[in-house]
Amino acid sequence: MGLILLFGVFFFSLIAGVPVAFALGIATVLTFVYEGLPLFVAFQRIMSGISVFSLLAIPFFIFAGELMLQGGIAVRLVRLASAAVGNIRGGLGVVNVASSMLFGGISGSAVADTSALGSIMIPVMKEKKYDADYAVNVTVTSSIAGVVIPPSHNMILYAVAAGGVSVSSLFIAGVVPGILMCVCLALAAYLVAVRRGYASEAFPGWQVLAISFVVAIPGLLTAVIIVGGVLSGVMTVTESGAFGAIYAIVVTALVYRELTWERFITAVLASVRTTSLVMMLVATATAFAYLLTLYRVPDTLAASITSISDNPLIILLLINVVLLLLGMIMDMAALILICTPIFLPLARDIGMDPIQFGIIIMMNLGLGLCTPPVGACLFVGCVVGGVRMDHVVRTIWPFYLAIIASLLLVTYVPAISMFLPNLMR
Amino acid sequence: MVEASKDSLTDSAGSWPAVRHIIELVVSACMLVAGTMLVVLIGTMGWLVFGRYALNDTPTWVEQLSLVLVVWITFLGGAACVWRKSHLGVDFVRDALSFTMQIVLRLIASALMAAFGVCMAWQGGLLASGTWARRIPMLEISEGWRAVPMVISGGLIALFAIFELASLVNHLLAVRSRNIGD
Repeated sequence: MGLILLFGVFFFSLIAGVPVAFALGIATVLTFVYEGLPLFVAFQRIMSGISVFSLLAIPFFIFAGELMLQGGIAVRLVRLASAAVGNIRGGLGVVNVASSMLFGGISGSAVADTSALGSIMIPVMKEKKYDADYAVNVTVTSSIAGVVIPPSHNMILYAVAAGGVSVSSLFIAGVVPGILMCVCLALAAYLVAVRRGYASEAFPGWQVLAISFVVAIPGLLTAVIIVGGVLSGVMTVTESGAFGAIYAIVVTALVYRELTWERFITAVLASVRTTSLVMMLVATATAFAYLLTLYRVPDTLAASITSISDNPLIILLLINVVLLLLGMIMDMAALILICTPIFLPLARDIGMDPIQFGIIIMMNLGLGLCTPPVGACLFVGCVVGGVRMDHVVRTIWPFYLAIIASLLLVTYVPAISMFLPNLMR
Repeated sequence: MVEASKDSLTDSAGSWPAVRHIIELVVSACMLVAGTMLVVLIGTMGWLVFGRYALNDTPTWVEQLSLVLVVWITFLGGAACVWRKSHLGVDFVRDALSFTMQIVLRLIASALMAAFGVCMAWQGGLLASGTWARRIPMLEISEGWRAVPMVISGGLIALFAIFELASLVNHLLAVRSRNIGD
């Protein structure tokens, strides 16, 4: 009965329009009252949920991403991608994907990627006679690179929710799947471009390419510092996040000279907003997850799924389908925190490494950011592109297929995600 | 229930402009304090990295300060985002329902938020008073300071939700009396 109350209140609150973070909190509090548990414990859990040292990296990553938006790093990355791959048929679509790979790899946020690159790429693509829906499709779906390619603050959330999985292993494990997904998306962008008859850009020459690369290097180094600091073991993830944020200030203010005082304040306030949204979710989801464990939800769910089939391939498929459906209606951060304790034990039981499962969660829930009815990246992309969502969704399926194909490869071929972490071990 | 258009739901945002203005100032103050704390957080953590690797003298107080700061940033920013409606939600189901159902659900949502805010402030107060005598290691300030933002945030969330609730009820009553007058 308590479990029904927990989920009943949660879903009812969501439908009533209560934000996800508070719906989790309200459901937890009412269930605590119903079960006669001391309410004090619920709020202690809420407090302890965010008092975790490794979570401190999240505001730093978010701030570094905001600085890139405000400080001109994104524009330089687009120029580099354009010089490198613009001459391919439907070149701006492929440039868009390549830019996302570079930008997402630094900012670690899919929404920041959509907003930053969308505002640069979509107008240019429309000007070059690309259809607006195509421009939005490519921008939105390629932004998932931000959550798969390191650094990614969502990986830190997963590491905490999974009970101490190595962040550095997750970071390195995301590289190959992230690149694979971008290659699949670039292929989809190319095929759609050929079908629609989009032209290619002229190759600007090796000299322009070299100059674009040199100019982009200071921005690219932000990712190298953050990821390199963690992977080398020299710095903790929090320290490297802080160092990366300070480096981003130096680059945007002193090297690129585009970070004005007003832009700095905008970046700070935007970071406070995003940080508090994510951390409030972490806080209440921690208390919610406490009740899930108390009710032995992971065990019950594992038993239900294995009663359908004990074939690991089918179980993985079922997990993926459930995550995809949940990702369509709920936010990524909340789902990472709720679903990890539920599905990870099941994945472990069938012999999957928690690192590989983490990458599957990133890709799967990342896709949820691009699907209706609740897709943050899809919303942002449609607003930036000035296109209606139903118009975009009608033609987005080749890009969904590209992501699902790469997701299935990562799910069923462990080496794709585990090759680099195993090499490190 | 009430003869009013869907657009009129947003008209409730026009209720009591003076109170609304004061709340806006409070919310801006919250964002300003949280923003300053974020800059301090980044600066001190940068100092920790510099101290550890350049000076070979780790300022250990930074870790404790950072954990306190992040709690303050979360709860102050979280309350401000409630007022600015920035929190992530699932509105599409409610928006697809009939107008009357939308009003009922809005009232329920505001009431639930208000109740949660009161609960958070109350329990945060208990946490703060219960830990006030203890000291945070390295910082030598009361452990209760960690829970103080929960009290402030809970109080503000309750205030914002009650104001929304009152604005909506006030607006509905105004529309109803106008309809009766017609």
